[in-house]
Order: sequence, then C-alpha cells, then structure tokens
Amino acid sequence: MRNSTTGWLLIAPTLFILFITGFVPFIYVLVVSFFDWNTFAQNPEPTFTGADNFRELVFDKAFLKSIWLTLKFTAFVLISQLVIGLFLARMLLRNVPLKGLFRTIHTLPLMIAPIAVGATWRLLTVPGLGPIPHYLKSWFGIDYILSRFPDQAFATVVIMDIWHWTPLVTLTLMAGLSNLPEEPLEQARIDGASEWRIFWDITLAFLKPVLLTTIFIRLMDALRTVDEVWMLTGGGPGAETRFIGLHIWRVVFPKTDYGYGSAMSLITLYLTIVMCWLLYVAMTGMKENKA
Amino acid sequence: MLKFMLATSAIALALGAPARADFWSDAGAKYQGVTIRGVSESTPPSNYVKDVLAPQFTEKTGIVVEFETTSWDQMFDKAIKDMEANSGIYDFVYIEQDIIYSYLARDFLVDITQTLKDNPDLQAPDFKFEEFTTFIDNFRGENGNIFGVPMEAFIKVYLYRKDLFEDPAHIEAFKAKYGYDLAPATTFQQWRDNAEYFANLSQDDELWGTTVQASSGHPAAFYEFFESIAPTYGVYDWGIDGTTYAASVDKGGRMNSPEAKEALKFWVGLLEFAPPEATASTWDEVASTFAAGRAAQGWVYGENAAWIATNPEKSTVVGKVGVALPPMVEGVMEAAEKGEGYIGYYDGGAFGIPHSSKNKEAAVLWLEFIGQASVQADWAVAGSRVVHQATYDDPKVQEVNAKADGYFDLMRDKGYLFKGAPEYPFHAQVREVVAPFIYEAIVGTMTPEDALDAAAAAADAELIKLGYAKE
Repeated sequence: MRNSTTGWLLIAPTLFILFITGFVPFIYVLVVSFFDWNTFAQNPEPTFTGADNFRELVFDKAFLKSIWLTLKFTAFVLISQLVIGLFLARMLLRNVPLKGLFRTIHTLPLMIAPIAVGATWRLLTVPGLGPIPHYLKSWFGIDYILSRFPDQAFATVVIMDIWHWTPLVTLTLMAGLSNLPEEPLEQARIDGASEWRIFWDITLAFLKPVLLTTIFIRLMDALRTVDEVWMLTGGGPGAETRFIGLHIWRVVFPKTDYGYGSAMSLITLYLTIVMCWLLYVAMTGMKENKA
Repeated sequence: MLKFMLATSAIALALGAPARADFWSDAGAKYQGVTIRGVSESTPPSNYVKDVLAPQFTEKTGIVVEFETTSWDQMFDKAIKDMEANSGIYDFVYIEQDIIYSYLARDFLVDITQTLKDNPDLQAPDFKFEEFTTFIDNFRGENGNIFGVPMEAFIKVYLYRKDLFEDPAHIEAFKAKYGYDLAPATTFQQWRDNAEYFANLSQDDELWGTTVQASSGHPAAFYEFFESIAPTYGVYDWGIDGTTYAASVDKGGRMNSPEAKEALKFWVGLLEFAPPEATASTWDEVASTFAAGRAAQGWVYGENAAWIATNPEKSTVVGKVGVALPPMVEGVMEAAEKGEGYIGYYDGGAFGIPHSSKNKEAAVLWLEFIGQASVQADWAVAGSRVVHQATYDDPKVQEVNAKADGYFDLMRDKGYLFKGAPEYPFHAQVREVVAPFIYEAIVGTMTPEDALDAAAAAADAELIKLGYAKE
C-alpha cells in the first residue's frame, strides 16, 4: 500500500504536466470545434453551431485533398523508410569496410531540426541558385522546378523525408536485430533453410515488436509533418504538397478560423488513432493467426 | 568682494547643477535599462532600423531595443498571436498598410496621438505628425488620431534594363522582328513582346524577359495580381464591391469580370518568358532576380530600387536601371487622376504599439525617435523609403535619385496615382480563400477564367460566413 502511494507521488508531477499540456488543450480544442469563431469576422465572439463544422468538413474539397495527399505521402515514406532502413541495418551489422564512418554520416540528418532540413533542401532545389536543378538541366536536360511541377514537388518532399528519417529506422532496427536470439537461426540453418526463408519466417517474426514500434512512431510523425514541407514548398505548387498539418495551420493562423480549424484537428487525430489501431490489429492479428 | 562672491557662487551653482542633456537622455532617464521588443519583416528599411537606429536610440536613452526581423508570414503570425493572447511580448510591431484596418477593428493598438497628449513630457521636439507625407493618413483611426508611426513607404514601379533597351543591336533586331521600336513598355502587348524578345535571345544565356512575382504557394502571387496587375486593367480593391462586399460579377463584384480574367491571362502568360525561379518568387526573390541581371523588365517593389541601382556589392545592374510607371489599359490613368482608381500598389508600413505592451512610454519614445526628420535621409538612401515630405529634397536622397533614374522623383510626383490595399478588416481571411486559385492558374491546373470564377465564388462564400456580405 505504501509502495503504491509512493509510486503515485513520484509520478504525480508528470501526470500534472501531462494534464496541463495534453488534456486541457485537447478539451479546449474539442469545445472550440463546436463554435463558429473567427476573430476577424463581423461578430468576433464564438457562436455555438453544434456539429456544423464537422458537417462542412465532409464536403470540403481542400480538406479532403490534403487528407489524401497526407495518406499518400505517409504510405510512400513509411514503406521506403522500412525497406531502406532494414537493408541498411542488416548491412551495418556485418563486417563491411568503413562501416563506422558510414554509420556516422548516415545518422547526421537525425540531428538536424526539421525546419533546417527544409531550408537546406530549398537551397539545393531553388531554380537559378540550387545545384540540383542546375545539374539536372545541364546534364540531362530536365527542367526541375518544384514550384511549377506538382509531381516533382511531391517526389522531392518524399525523398527529403526519407533522407531525414531513415536513419532513425535504421538505428531502431539495428537494435532489434542485434538482440535476436541466435539459436533459432542456427537451428534453421542446420535444417537447411534458405537465407530468404530464415529472414522471412524467423528474423521478421522476432523483429515484429520493434517493427511495430518503429512503424507507429514514423506513422504519427509522417501524418503531422509540417515544418520541412512548409519551408521547402510552402504547400505548393497550388495545394499539391499541402499536407493536413500545413492545411490546418493555414486555416487556424493566417485565416484565424479557430472553430473550423479545431474540427479539422480533431478529425485528423481521430484518423491517426484509427490508423494506428488498424495497424496494431493487423500486425498482432497476424501473429495470433500464425500461432 | 561682493562681485567675487557672486562670481564664485555662480561657478559653484554651475558645477553643482546636473549637466543639461538633450531631450532623449532626459526623457529616457526614467526608462534606463528597460528593454523594448519589436518584430518586423526582414527588409532593407527594417534592417536599417535594427543595425543603425536601434543602437543610436540605446546610446541616447539607455533603453535597449531588441528588434526581430523575420519572414513576412512569421512576422504577422507572431505579432497577431501576441496581441490576441495579450501576452505583452512585443512593445512595438510592424503594421503593414493593408493590415491596419484589421488591427483597428480588433482594437489591438495604442492611440499614439492621445498618449502624447496625455504625457506631454514624452513629446520629442523633433517629432511632428505634420512633417509626414499623406501616407500617415493610412494609420489614422476613426477619430483621426494616429495609431502607427510610418517607417517605410514606396511604390511598386516598372523597372527595366536601360543598357539593354538602349543597345543599338537590340533596337535593330527588335524592330526587324516586331515592326516597331524597342522601348520600355507602355502597353501590355509591348510588355509581352519585350519579354518574348529578351527571353529568346539565346538558349544559353541567363537573361529572361520579365520578372513575375508568381510564387505558387505564397500570398505574394495574390498580391502582385490583385494589387499591381488587376488595377492596371481597371479592377480595383481586389474586385470586391466596397459597399456590398460582393466579389463575383453575379452579385455586383468584379473579381471574375472579363477585365480581371484578361489581366490574369496576361500575367500568367508572362511565365513563359520569366526565369525559372518566378514561380517560387515573392517580392524578395523578384528584386534579387532583377539585381542579378536575370530579367530585362519587371514590377519591383520600390524599397529595393535604391540598392539595385546603386549597390555594386549586391547588384550586377548598377547604373543600368530605368524606372517608369507600369503600363495600363485606356481609362485607368484618367480614373486615377480623378481619384476614382489607381495604377498600382503603394505599399508601406508603420510601427505601432500593442495594448498588451508592458513598456508603452518607452516604446512611444522609440517611435518618435525613428519618426524624427533628422534620421530620414540616410534611412531613405539605405531602404528607398520616404515617409517625410522633406526627405525628397535632401541632397543625399537626390544623389541616389539621380543614380536610380529618378525613382524618388517619380514617387513624389506620381505617388498619388498609386494606392495601398483596400480598407478591409477581413484582409487575410479573403486572401487565404482566393490565393489557392491564383496558384492553380500559375501552375496551369486551372485556366485563368476558371480560377477567377472559383475565386470569386469562394470569396463570396467566405464574406457571407464572416458576416460582411449578405446571402
């Protein structure tokens, strides 16, 4: 009993901070989402409108487009980062030359703030100044103008995110791979299983908890990407890279449409939770089925 | 003996009395060590404030000025959040001419006229509202009082490369191709022909026909179209009716009128002859493009005219810059002369004091300091901005004026033909719903006609939602 009380006392400060910084803002956003509130409207006071904001969202083409773009972006970066990260993690656990140097360089992007990553990529890609458009034009005759061609902008944003966050996936998977038990792998080899079979049926199966954690972290990060993209493309050209975080920011801050923006935030939070839950059920369900 | 005693007493009194300082050290004495904080966009005039005026003020008054110069978006974001939350982070904020109406509607700002009346000891001898140009009228409230001290004002002019337009080889080649003389554009067709000619000179050179402030993800594109291009086609105030707040033609607005569509078609059509960075260009990049010698002509914010024309460390076109009024359709000049229209954008801004400021008196002293006549000329030379009538005639300004092809004279003599943004309290709200359609037209995912139809419908819907227009 005493232990339990001490435990609660020890975690009380953390719970208090979480309550203030997490729960209270959430309730505030929840309440605001039921109001029409734009401080630059003729009536700047909040007006209760029930579920109108949510109803409007269902038909809001700009919102639906930004959701679709975000899901597309998330799918691209998540799959790419897992494949490349797993490949690099396996490679870096072997005795390859210059392994240490590569691991250090590979990890460097993780230390850069997202806004600085966006700024760096902007400098690399801006026409008339950046080396990438210059060399693509002079070597291959390719017009690489992010602000004019939506596909190029989207692809560059995806590549930037992969460059920035793959090292995190690599490091996490390296930790997971280096903790795998040796016995099942050795037994499989003695039984004559192919390397592919060993990887698919044993390595991946043991790696599943680490994979699941990594996927969750990256999924949530990708769904709320704002600063890198804001710096690189500003959401353009047009609205072709205006992911949901950026879209909400524009609605809430420059447009000061607080009620509608809050409703968007809640729907996005709901979607994120649903996606994580589906993923969790899918991955743990697979395990149970196999068992 | 009496004389000796009197003389001794006089000397003793003189030595014992505190030294007679100037107004600034006297007025600043009460606020010694106070730090006032401000935020503005990083522009040539703001950077002069940060690098020159702020240290001078601190030296004279002992009041420290922390001045943050950042991007345009961030500046508004930070200032508005601070004022809305009443947090008191900033003691002075940049108020662009176009946002003042929103700020006044929200009662964000301190009445500077009233503050000086209430605190006569704060009145600086060298600060007088009547010395400012009429631009200061943009910062008056309904009671006629001043809510912001102007710190920059300029017009968006047509800049062209004199060396290219006066080159005999180009004059001859142009005439052979188009059948008329090469000259700075006075019509839109001429602008297009000039642009096409210079853009197609050689595939390998780094010269294009025109600048276009057509960032496909930044409001700068919205501003160039609605505040510089559309007015020259006779579409004023963003095409929104100032009494009914209707945008679409069906409801009485002009945002999607044939003239507006023609203007957008012309402007978007120029992208074919613009450098590749045009679709990523805000006002800063347009100035850089012109200064780098990458465009033969363009609409350029006047705050950049002086450095482009005179600073060889930053500009490759020093001594080659021509300045003129932009082209316009028939009737627009006449309307502007009568005060019924305008031919382009008169931009600028002031520093105002938020109600949330915790150091209002010290901030008032600071605003008076930057509003003195004595600091204006050097500031005008550094940032091509003029807010005092007398600044135009200052020898230093006249020297730059000569090198900048008479930019300051043009602003003084023709400034009245230009106009700032319309007095809408819903400035950012309408911009945010309209701008995406301008981006679509730039990228080519919508035709200019469709983009403006959709933009007008979106503006109407937003204005109804905000309560300004009727269903």
